[in-house]
Amino acid sequence: MSSPARILLVEDTQSQAELAKALLRDMGVEIRHAETAGRALADALANPPDAILLDLELPDFSGFELMQKLRAEGVEAAVIVVTANASVNTAVEAMRQGAVDFIVKPYAKARLTVTLTNALEKRALTQELKTVRAQLSRDRFFGFIGASAPMQAIYRTIESVAASRASVFITGESGTGKELAAEAIHKASPRAAKPFVALNCGAIPRDLLESEVFGHVKGAFTGATDNRVGAAKQADGGTLFLDEIGEMPLEMQVKLLRFVQTGSFQPVGASRTEKVDVRFVCATNRDPLAEVEAGRFREDLYYRLYVVPLELPPLRDRGQDGVLIARALLAQLSREEGKRFRGFAPDVEQAVLAYAWPGNVRQLQNVVRNVVVLHEGEVVTPAMLPPTLLRVAPRPAAPVPMQPALAPPAAVPVATLVAEVMPAEPVAPEWVAPAHGPLPVSAPPALPISAPAPVTITLPSPMVVVEPLAVMEKRLILAALAETSQDVTRAAALLQINPSTVYRKMQQWKATGELL
Amino acid sequence: MQPAIDLNARRCDQYPVHALDPSVAGQLAEDLPREDFLRIIHTFHEDLLRLTGEIVAAVPRGDVVGFQRAAHSLAGAAAAVGAARLEAAARQGMAGAQPPSVALAGRIEAEAAAALAALAALST
Repeated sequence: MSSPARILLVEDTQSQAELAKALLRDMGVEIRHAETAGRALADALANPPDAILLDLELPDFSGFELMQKLRAEGVEAAVIVVTANASVNTAVEAMRQGAVDFIVKPYAKARLTVTLTNALEKRALTQELKTVRAQLSRDRFFGFIGASAPMQAIYRTIESVAASRASVFITGESGTGKELAAEAIHKASPRAAKPFVALNCGAIPRDLLESEVFGHVKGAFTGATDNRVGAAKQADGGTLFLDEIGEMPLEMQVKLLRFVQTGSFQPVGASRTEKVDVRFVCATNRDPLAEVEAGRFREDLYYRLYVVPLELPPLRDRGQDGVLIARALLAQLSREEGKRFRGFAPDVEQAVLAYAWPGNVRQLQNVVRNVVVLHEGEVVTPAMLPPTLLRVAPRPAAPVPMQPALAPPAAVPVATLVAEVMPAEPVAPEWVAPAHGPLPVSAPPALPISAPAPVTITLPSPMVVVEPLAVMEKRLILAALAETSQDVTRAAALLQINPSTVYRKMQQWKATGELL
Repeated sequence: MQPAIDLNARRCDQYPVHALDPSVAGQLAEDLPREDFLRIIHTFHEDLLRLTGEIVAAVPRGDVVGFQRAAHSLAGAAAAVGAARLEAAARQGMAGAQPPSVALAGRIEAEAAAALAALAALST
């Protein structure tokens, strides 16, 4: 049930105020009364009202002036001007100042209540519209940063599911923010004041997992020198987040299934069961259904936990979010490291957008930290970036055939790189030029996570056609520019040369009339 | 259901100088519970004493602004309870930039007393 509408009555004549309060009593609204404009302003700032019934003639300053001050302070109440002056000029001025309606004294009860009801309804609709618009364009949500459409969908799903007790199964590549999503679900839920307990099933030795989840009693096993409360008990009333649940051994899955079904568990070595109220959120970077089919994950447990799926998008599918996150990280890490960085050069932001980020936000975080720690300055320049970021392949796109040579073209997979700042991830392979066949710029690495599809560009075979180097160079640069929609930075990255080289060549060709 | 308003209107009509507008005062008496109506008359009485006092005090000072402001408040308060003649007198005091008039202040005082008497009768 929503709380009653808050009305601020600004009226210096006591009998007028009493009359308005008496006439509004049946509406069930909460009425506060201010006798001066100054008190009204202070009251509205301290406790913003939904509507203001405003007399224009006030002892300290006029009602119009009060409206201007309220607007300047961001008070968005619906203002209804109530005055003894029935002139058209006053009415026009009231509307010009932002009043939603105008009542002339004396007024009947119906006139006052209908006007106020309409104003409150209009305000509620305006507020709702504002909320919806804000939700559709918000760029932060709990710990997340991102305004892209896929993230807006994630925010909405989290909000929808938060109030429920239903289990949530989060999937997504490493570094996409699965634990952040689990925390957001908890913080947006009615359980927010209770504990959020996160357990990484992949990081705990198999023998200790049961004890970590359910706890143990003293003497339950060698080394159990005392009673220990497990994550299940710690999360009572709150949320239990089981990360990397795909790593959980099958025998432990049986015990977890019983716990999920009944809310009861037995600490290791205990003779009695305990019951708790826990909301389950699980996560994995594997395909859970494939794990079920492979026999590594129990089907019954899968269906118990996979009630609300939440698939986090990889950073490469989040549009401009990479730049938003990079800026926020730069500000945060510069503060932490006592550096002066204020922003990125446009070329750097282009590179951030062009790169595929196989390690997602975690990788981006590492790159920004690397830059902040190793460099000085106010602006991050391309020279400060790890080389792999500038040798990046473009985002997956439709293949664009390059100018064919005399010989039949050969299909070449363009590099799909991973950053060297991610120690857990494979490092980009070097150039490998085989003696025969297609010329690989670099082979796509075998990633444990899904990598972006390689872009295929057809190149003339250098084994057959021999042309002047300058001709070949120009052809390749123009082809790279065509491939990247004339984006010099990305074209240079494709060619693994400095963007300034591309600019210089283009200027040179323009000067000699070889390029329009 | 009209009897109540008719009764109140008849009561208003009993006053030969029509200190109260029956359509306003009668409607008010019908719209509000009796205890609210009595409380409003009581606070109206207090407002009249305060505002007529401000009007009378503004005259010897030649305080045009104070006179007009009090007259404006009085006009609004009078209009709200249907004290039509008092409202008319107060509106005269709101207009123009002439010095506050003793005669007008006296007329306002007299109309205030008449309005109070009429309201007191209506509340019985």
